[in-house]
Amino acid sequence: MSKRILIIDDDEAVRRSFISALEDSKFQVDTAESGEEGLQMKKDAEYNLIFLDLKMPGMNGVETLREIRKTDKEVPVYIFTAFHKEFFDQLRIVEEQGLNFEVIKKPVGSDLIVTLTKLILGQHEETKEASHV
Amino acid sequence: MYEFKLYVVGRTPKSIEVIEELVRLLEDALDGHYHLEVIDILEKPELAEEDKIVATPTLERVSPEPVRRVIGDLSDNKTTVLLALGLTAQRVEAERNE
Repeated sequence: MSKRILIIDDDEAVRRSFISALEDSKFQVDTAESGEEGLQMKKDAEYNLIFLDLKMPGMNGVETLREIRKTDKEVPVYIFTAFHKEFFDQLRIVEEQGLNFEVIKKPVGSDLIVTLTKLILGQHEETKEASHV
Repeated sequence: MYEFKLYVVGRTPKSIEVIEELVRLLEDALDGHYHLEVIDILEKPELAEEDKIVATPTLERVSPEPVRRVIGDLSDNKTTVLLALGLTAQRVEAERNE
């Protein structure tokens, strides 16, 4: 069974860039346009990796991370953010609460998406056999 | 002397695990002949900007040159990490003798 990735970002261009970057991989990529939608999808399916935007209307990245960690302490969560103190101050609070997460710098290029995903989910999953035909 | 920088997110349980794993790895590979600087990216985002860090955790071999980087979970595949950092046994021995 292929590994599943969930992208939670209100920016359609970001969601599309992930789908495009990973379309030749064996990974199944699902997207959600809000924290609320992402949480519902997380309830309905098991994910191996989650990319999460920090700044979203409605439930933001920090609130979404808190909800994810209530039921799943293991799934790797990468939060998209600019590397500036004003954004990191919000993350500092959840870090102090001991919630696991990593950060990835916005904007995220397709090379980084592919490289990071392969590193986290395993090289052996990297390419569809069909792409070699 | 090998010099490394490790960029992590604060002191989350995962970050602490990464640091502990890395220290074990470096001790095994370099037997104390290294210096590891751990940088909390939430505390010092300007250093991450300067070094063009794009994700955590990132391990950077600063010296000897060339600079090498490993991004992502460092605990899953120790051999891959060592190879990515250029730390094969033969190379370590050669660089110590230079």
